[in-house]
Amino acid sequence: MSFFNVSKKIKEIKTTLNESSDFAYRFYKKDKQIIGLVYLKSIIDQNLLSNAIYFPLQTFEEKLSIKTLKEKIIKCADLKSIKEEDIIKEILDGRVIVITNFSKELISIDLYKFPTRAPTEPPTSPVIQGPREGFVEDMQTNITLLRRRLKTENLVLTTLRVGSQTQTKVVLAYLKGIANKKIVDQVTKKIKEIKIDGIIDSYYVLSFLQNRPNSLFRQIGNTEKPDIATSKLLEGKVAIIVDNSPIVLTVPFILMEDLQNSNDYYTNHHYSSLVRVIRLFGLLIALVAPGAYLAMQIYHYNILPLNFLITIADTTQGLPFTPFLEILFIFLLFQILYEVSLRLPSYLGLATSVVGALILGDTGVKAGLISPPGVIIVALSKIALYTIPEQSSQVTVLQIIFIILGGSLGLVGMIAGFVYLLNYLNTIDSYGTPYLAPYGPRIPQDLKDGIFTKPITQMKERPKSFSPQKKEKT
Amino acid sequence: MKEQCINIRQACVLILMCIFTNKILLLPSLMFEEAKADAFFAVIVLFLLDIVVLPIFIKLKTMYPDKRLFEILSKKISPILTKFIYCVFAVYFMFKCLLVFSITYVYFKQQIYQDEIIWLILISGIPVINHAIMSGVRAFSRTIELLKWAVLIGFVSCLAFSLFTDLSMPFFFVSTSGEFFSSIFNHIFSFGDYIFLFVVIDRIEIKKGQEKQLYISSIIGMLLVGMLFFLFYAKYQVTAFMHNNALADILVFSVQFNAIGRLDIIAMLTIMFITLFQLEIYSYAFCDCVLNIFPKLNKIFSIVVFDIIFGILYYVFIGKYEILVGSSQFWSPWLGLFVNYLFPIVCLIIILLARRKKNEKTD
Amino acid sequence: MKKQIEKMVKQPMIIVFIIILIFFTPLAIYSPGENRNRGVVTAIGIDKQDQEYEISLLTFIPTANQSYKEQTSIISGKGGTLAEALYKAQINMGRKVGLAHAKTTVVSKDLLQEDVTNHIDYLSRVASLPENTVFVCSSSSAKKLLEASQGLEQKIGLKLEQLIGFNANIIYVTDTSLEAFYKGYYKRVKSSIIGYLKLKELNGDSQSGGSSKGGEKEQNTANNLIEGGSQSNDIALNDIINEGEAVLLKDGRMVDILSIDELNGINLLNKKALNQIITVNNVELDGEKFDLSYKIKDKKVLINTKFENDIPVFSAQLILGLELVEVKGNHETIVINTEFSKISKDVENALDNQIKKIFTDALKVMRENKTDVLGINEIFFNSNRNSYKKFIEKIEDVDNFIDFVNFKLSLIIQPD
Repeated sequence: MSFFNVSKKIKEIKTTLNESSDFAYRFYKKDKQIIGLVYLKSIIDQNLLSNAIYFPLQTFEEKLSIKTLKEKIIKCADLKSIKEEDIIKEILDGRVIVITNFSKELISIDLYKFPTRAPTEPPTSPVIQGPREGFVEDMQTNITLLRRRLKTENLVLTTLRVGSQTQTKVVLAYLKGIANKKIVDQVTKKIKEIKIDGIIDSYYVLSFLQNRPNSLFRQIGNTEKPDIATSKLLEGKVAIIVDNSPIVLTVPFILMEDLQNSNDYYTNHHYSSLVRVIRLFGLLIALVAPGAYLAMQIYHYNILPLNFLITIADTTQGLPFTPFLEILFIFLLFQILYEVSLRLPSYLGLATSVVGALILGDTGVKAGLISPPGVIIVALSKIALYTIPEQSSQVTVLQIIFIILGGSLGLVGMIAGFVYLLNYLNTIDSYGTPYLAPYGPRIPQDLKDGIFTKPITQMKERPKSFSPQKKEKT
Repeated sequence: MKEQCINIRQACVLILMCIFTNKILLLPSLMFEEAKADAFFAVIVLFLLDIVVLPIFIKLKTMYPDKRLFEILSKKISPILTKFIYCVFAVYFMFKCLLVFSITYVYFKQQIYQDEIIWLILISGIPVINHAIMSGVRAFSRTIELLKWAVLIGFVSCLAFSLFTDLSMPFFFVSTSGEFFSSIFNHIFSFGDYIFLFVVIDRIEIKKGQEKQLYISSIIGMLLVGMLFFLFYAKYQVTAFMHNNALADILVFSVQFNAIGRLDIIAMLTIMFITLFQLEIYSYAFCDCVLNIFPKLNKIFSIVVFDIIFGILYYVFIGKYEILVGSSQFWSPWLGLFVNYLFPIVCLIIILLARRKKNEKTD
Repeated sequence: MKKQIEKMVKQPMIIVFIIILIFFTPLAIYSPGENRNRGVVTAIGIDKQDQEYEISLLTFIPTANQSYKEQTSIISGKGGTLAEALYKAQINMGRKVGLAHAKTTVVSKDLLQEDVTNHIDYLSRVASLPENTVFVCSSSSAKKLLEASQGLEQKIGLKLEQLIGFNANIIYVTDTSLEAFYKGYYKRVKSSIIGYLKLKELNGDSQSGGSSKGGEKEQNTANNLIEGGSQSNDIALNDIINEGEAVLLKDGRMVDILSIDELNGINLLNKKALNQIITVNNVELDGEKFDLSYKIKDKKVLINTKFENDIPVFSAQLILGLELVEVKGNHETIVINTEFSKISKDVENALDNQIKKIFTDALKVMRENKTDVLGINEIFFNSNRNSYKKFIEKIEDVDNFIDFVNFKLSLIIQPD
């Protein structure tokens, strides 16, 4: 009595996989019993395959049955029975499928091996003191990193599959009893509703999760560091780990999170308050400095102090550009240099910085194309931008808008633009959390981790903004 | 769709902005022309008259926690009369907007921009206001809450910097009682800062025991304005009538910090923020009134109505704030009297009647 | 296309932004900016000749250089009214006039012969002119003063407003701005003080003219520096002589020029006026006679006003902290001695007399000119309003009030 025609079945599978070149199979015969092993050799650990399956199989001398196979022969931890229709999916996940002619049961063995990199310190968020591990592209490793930090039965990991072609695993991680159930449900629903052929990076998921996908402002948090992800989970947020991406998403998200940095929690809280104030000023300068400079030049010469006015007037005299074009020109120069320095290999980076600093800046001034105050103002705003690197893309867009507002409408236009911006940000909410919390609206309990921080001993409650189920931390 | 509510803290900052309305630029010098430095006392009297309205509001709110003012009035008085009251409200708020705008416009023209700028200011102000109305009272009151400290610090530092120069006691008790009362009567329209709260009575969440905060913020606002009046008169004494922008002008003579130059940029920024907020508040109130009068209208239409009427009125009074202020001498006090004081009295009567009914029932 | 328009209507702010882009950004791109359009005026001079005003503007006109030095030039225009003159000056300049940074306004002495408010009405109306512009009178024409100040600035970098600022802080100890002038003008007795600068015509061959004129009087060293520095200069510039004088105005008309001593007398009651030197002559100490100079270190003024038998009495108590700075006498007998720093009864009496004398002199000037720069009227009005009003009714003219006031000055010297 035979249940499967093994060779026929293997042939079937091969056809389904379009006779892919990395498809491999192996028969094992003993008397009339035939065992077939099917797998993709590119994504499994072949050493383990021979050690854990072949070798025990060959040395086994009793009669084979599915029970002995599972219990005595195959020396693998992750082993399960699967249905026939799941075969392809399992193979593609890096599993070895065991097909026998003596049982209806199909065994799937986890032998996957992808090339992974070690969890090194991510370049986007280096710390001076503190854990240096970072998430990697491999999801298993990422989950390991989280598990290692959260040794609690309350850490819930739910796996979902997204992408009709890529079938990417998306794991929802949250702490049961702490994270708000409503938010978890909402996120799960949104992820399930994603209709796309492939998820290449977590940013693809992020785009679908945002309440306002058109908005300039990111409404989902992201991190590359397991320690940050852990602390966010503890605050009652939901983390979304996407396979093949080292970026882990967290919801709900507030703007304040970008002002926070993991360094802040690993140093003295007085210092971190100071640094946050500086970051805020940096953000403000980055936003308005070029626009305000322009507004003062074009409309409000009377506000400028006389000495400064003289400097500006003297240096801008005889320039071929009007102030607006000058600032726009310098802005463009900086932006081009920035793009180039990002893309170029590092050994060419030095060359661009020399060209940028010397030729374009200094010679530009000497040649009378641009004025020194203009260069200083734009450079200042561009540097200030990177006090909050997470917001740099948004703020760059806003810089141009404020340059246009300042240049065409003056200070009043800029203030109006600023008020509009805040009004707009106040209409955004990220899964029930106001975007500008804890300042708009003011949530006194959450100010402990606001601009002026308190020591961790005083942060006894989880932030109210994220409406956690359990408030007290202890 | 019911709009989202604001909390007590946001209501407080709205009150603060309302209290600053029209009082920090032109009013001190206008009132000086009539009552001399005694205008300071006139302001105190007007503030006292104003603050009496607050308990009426709180009582009304506790009696009808979730009802709109329109519903309360139409139930208690009559729907048609209520519509009439709302029409008067709409006119009232529109002119408040216009007054705020034109006073600030003159200030901008004198101090910030040098040339004709009407379009610049309209194009920068109106869209922001419209967006604020569209996004609702919660969004913009959160913005005001966020920038509350910036505004307050700006205001207080204007007052503080003015202390660095010669100040002497203003000459009080020089005007006749006629002058004194006429200055009170003529500028009644610039007061009445709690009427906005009545309009959004259903959108404020007041928990028990929080009413105190409303009083505190009112008193802070009134103290600041009162101090501004006092310092302004103390600084300029006899020439106060020559200075149209009180908040900025008290800074002009302060110590010149060497390289910083003009300090009145603080006043400038403060005034810009305050003006935008006030315009947001009053235009929102106007649109709310329009929506109540014509319930079938869409919110967008009410905004369009606001823009058109505002544009036309502004065109009529374009830059001529003297005309606005001058012509308003005839009607604005009466409008102010009606809305600021008569309407709260009506509310008080409603409250008293309701209470009597309740008492009768319990008896 | 239709869909795109529909999408845009849903986001009206984008439309607004596009409108700004279309209508206003070209303006911004085209506009060279106010700072390049305007000549920034740092000082204004006003003269009047034969019913025609001449307005001179010390203007900063930007030039393309990297030295960031203020290059100023004087541009003037004439016209029947100030506005007209300014308009002409603007045409001469070829730029719009920017008054927002005008720190000094100079009027010629001739203008002060009649009510000056008639002449400077324009200045009080023009909004862009800051009200804290310092108001100064020049002994000859204002234009010449500006020219001289330009020379001063080019040679030693001393600006007119710095010079005046020094005076205002140290000598007048009051605001001498346009606003302060108006404040005085609108008081009960219309009187105010503004700064006064003398001009001395310099000939090509003159040498160290400043000091020859100045004599014992306090003089700003700046003038000497100029002459020492540049003899080679072909253009003989006028020289500003700062003697710390001030013009006393009544009804906006010049009535007197106050010397520095008279100013010091007026400022006796001013708490902020410190560092003045009081010298007492021929004081006997241990049988020898000395001249002693004291510097006022600290000052407190207590003022009390009342009506005694319907006569206004103004009593002021001066509490001074004094520091001995100079002893003049026979130096053979003077040893550096701590005794001097102690103020003996004799010295105290001498000081008392000296201070009373200074104050009486100042009061005399005020009474002669019927001016009240001390604000005596205001003080009485505030403290004894009813009696004051009755008294004014009795004497009919408010200007004469100061003549009737009985001044009582008492001196208390604070021990160190």
